[in-house]
Amino acid sequence: MKIRSTGALALASSLAVGSLAMLSLGGGASAAPVTNVTYAYDFPGPDFELIPLVVAQDQGFFAQAGLNVKVVFPPDTSTTTKLLVTGAANIGFITTTDMGVAVNAGAPVLSIGNYTMSNNWALFAKPGVALSANKLKSELEGKKIFSYGDTWTESMLPFVLKKAGLTDKQVDIVTDPTGQDFKFLLDGKVNIATNTSNYEVAGFDTSGLKGKEPTLLGTAVGAPNIPIWVYATSKSYATSNPTTVSKFMSAVKKGTLWAIANPTKAAVEFDKLYPKSGYTNAYNLDGWKLTIPFLANSAGQYFTQTSAQWATMSKALKSINLISSVPSPSTYYTNKFLP
Amino acid sequence: MNELLQLDNIAKSFGSTVALEPTSLTIEEGSFVAIVGPSGCGKSTLFNVIAGLLKPDSGEVHVANQVVTGTSGHVGYMLQKDLLMPWRTVEDNITMAARLTRGVTRDDRLEARRVAKQYGLGEFLRHYPHALSGGMRQRVAFMRTLVTRHPLLLLDEPFGALDAQTRLEMQQWLLQVWKEAQRTVLFITHDVDESIFLSDRVLVMSPRPGRIIADFANPLERPRSLDVLTDLRFVELKSQILHLLHGVS
Amino acid sequence: MNSNSQDGPVSTVNLDSASESRSAGGFNRSRRRAVLRNVGIPILSIALLLLLWQAIVVVFHVAPYIAPRPLAAIQSVTDNWGSLWPLVLGTIRETIYGFVCGTILGIGLGVVMAKAPFLHRMVYPVLVLSQGVPIIALGAPIVLILGFGIAPKVVIVAWIVFFPVTVNVVAGLSHVDQDLLNLARVYGASKWRTFLLIEIPASTTSLFAGLKIGATYAVTGAIIGELVSPSGAGGSLALYQEHANTNFNVAAVYGTTMVMTVIGISWFLLIVASEVVATPWQRRTVARPSVFHREPDVDPASTVH
Repeated sequence: MKIRSTGALALASSLAVGSLAMLSLGGGASAAPVTNVTYAYDFPGPDFELIPLVVAQDQGFFAQAGLNVKVVFPPDTSTTTKLLVTGAANIGFITTTDMGVAVNAGAPVLSIGNYTMSNNWALFAKPGVALSANKLKSELEGKKIFSYGDTWTESMLPFVLKKAGLTDKQVDIVTDPTGQDFKFLLDGKVNIATNTSNYEVAGFDTSGLKGKEPTLLGTAVGAPNIPIWVYATSKSYATSNPTTVSKFMSAVKKGTLWAIANPTKAAVEFDKLYPKSGYTNAYNLDGWKLTIPFLANSAGQYFTQTSAQWATMSKALKSINLISSVPSPSTYYTNKFLP
Repeated sequence: MNELLQLDNIAKSFGSTVALEPTSLTIEEGSFVAIVGPSGCGKSTLFNVIAGLLKPDSGEVHVANQVVTGTSGHVGYMLQKDLLMPWRTVEDNITMAARLTRGVTRDDRLEARRVAKQYGLGEFLRHYPHALSGGMRQRVAFMRTLVTRHPLLLLDEPFGALDAQTRLEMQQWLLQVWKEAQRTVLFITHDVDESIFLSDRVLVMSPRPGRIIADFANPLERPRSLDVLTDLRFVELKSQILHLLHGVS
Repeated sequence: MNSNSQDGPVSTVNLDSASESRSAGGFNRSRRRAVLRNVGIPILSIALLLLLWQAIVVVFHVAPYIAPRPLAAIQSVTDNWGSLWPLVLGTIRETIYGFVCGTILGIGLGVVMAKAPFLHRMVYPVLVLSQGVPIIALGAPIVLILGFGIAPKVVIVAWIVFFPVTVNVVAGLSHVDQDLLNLARVYGASKWRTFLLIEIPASTTSLFAGLKIGATYAVTGAIIGELVSPSGAGGSLALYQEHANTNFNVAAVYGTTMVMTVIGISWFLLIVASEVVATPWQRRTVARPSVFHREPDVDPASTVH
């Protein structure tokens, strides 16, 4: 769920067409043996949520840990899990709902750390258009609603519709896997956009449009409050490379903390590494700043997962029939690789 | 006897090749005239001019005392290929001329059925052409030609694709039909035997340039039986024609 | 056909011996057996293929999130038939509309090009060029122009279908026997009647060859259209499969593929069936009784004058 400018779309498609694009983050400088790690992002192109890893590379945190990390970009949002399961990638970036359906299908994936701690997914409308929790039914009925077609949006929308008292036949869900929700909203192709707030607001802020974009948080209209993104790996990789996984998460934490303390510099490092990302520096900086508040939980911890979050997730998915059974939360995650 | 067909100085060239020298010809009503000649002698050109498919470079064509040069729809016409339409039944093929011009009436269909029954194909009216033998198909083609009621019929080697046995049967059949239907027939053939067996008159043509070089009256009486084939007069006429065709050129 | 038939001059003629086995309906008994073979063997080989698939999955312990058992895939289809059926109808609708448009365009263009050689020379290179464009690349521009509804799918299907139809119509019309056309002229037929009664029927085999080629790819075109144009209300079969893929519902992914294949094959078979109906002379020796003309009583003694 990222905003795509047309430039970014061009980059994304050029990266996605055919095979995976592989960009090496360089090798280690120390004399100790270097371990290669392939990291799969969740989207066909790089954007500001990748900044912690960019910093971990640029500031040498990976090198210090003896890691040579290669970032790969999948052709679409549903492939990362498959990359992990087939071993084409060692560690990846997916959503908690991706975890839910993968585990339900028997895929041996394991979540090793939260990215953000809460659900900042929301509905958006053009400035001036009414969007409120109590008038939801009239605001949504018959309207065109944008969907990325990914598991996350698919999981969230039923809760919203349920709160509004509408069936999916009473709205027009426009699915666009290329993610042009902002463009569609402005062009009038959809009435309601859906996205996470860090991406959407950053896009709106840098669009030059006046006013405020009406926002309705998913959690305000029935969506479960669960973290969106997680770092994940395959169960087999975790079992055979526990040290590498721990070192990886340790370096990522250092990168995250550094980027939180130095957001401007971090954005510059991102642009240096991905000059053709299709995003402006202003957008990247704004987006990263909007992401920061969600990275730590109320106790000030980063990455730490709870059984409660996974239980909530799986119960929610079961209630909309995306999974067939609710496993015990420990099936999904472990915190043991966290520094 | 009336003159049904009259050609006045018909000539046709294709580029520098003279396909037909200025040729004049009169055919009497009710006669059966054969035309023999090698390839390139202009016989097909002659036919196409009479049928109106070709406009002659000079001369006029008269059919039943009317000038028909360059126009079509006034003769019956039949080729070595039966040209039956595979997607039509035998009956529909017979009524094809009407269908292509004014439309098929109930009378046309009755006529087609009558002709077919009379000449042995009554049980095949609803068959498709591919179910019929070569000889049967040519007979259907002939019936198609017959029902147009044109007094003049042009037949261009209609039996050329058939084997010798079938050919003989078809020749006898043709004579029978010609007698009953009382038409005038112009018949092109390579086969000298066939030309004498069928005709009242044999025209011999020669190429380079295409022209009529001989006009024989056929002395043999009608009706023609198979004995005619070994009659002395048959052999003599055949000898004369063969010498013209293959002798000193 | 058989030149050894005993054709008498005015007698009832014997058919060649193969005809003895023809039944009253005009069909060969051996032809019926052939039809059974043509239908039975494909069904058998499909069943064997499914068995092989099942065997591979079981023997090689293929993980269910990589490939499902065939029965699981089929079950996913039957379990969700309620939601699948309107999507299937949608794809069928797109296929039919697109195919019809493509056919009309193809026939129209083909006739024009066959009759006007100058146009033929000018238009033909453009046509070939149009087919060089990958359909998937066409998708984005088409959506920009036509939006989300059924239109982009219909256009894509029509694009795929019209070319083989055009080419075959041109070929069919150009290869009508010139002697037959001459014969029609000798009869005094007008150009219009010649076209309607000779050139068009003579081209039906070619036309159907083109239609069959178009039919093979028509459903693919509809699916591509569904993929490149974000769907409107209700979604589409392709989107359903995408969702299944995103949601790791591997059985549904395979199941949807099977459904799409069935639609594609069914459409092709429908065209084949219409060819059988439209060209009875290719399979029958005797035409069905016409509903228009009944056999009148004819006096066999009367003769033609």
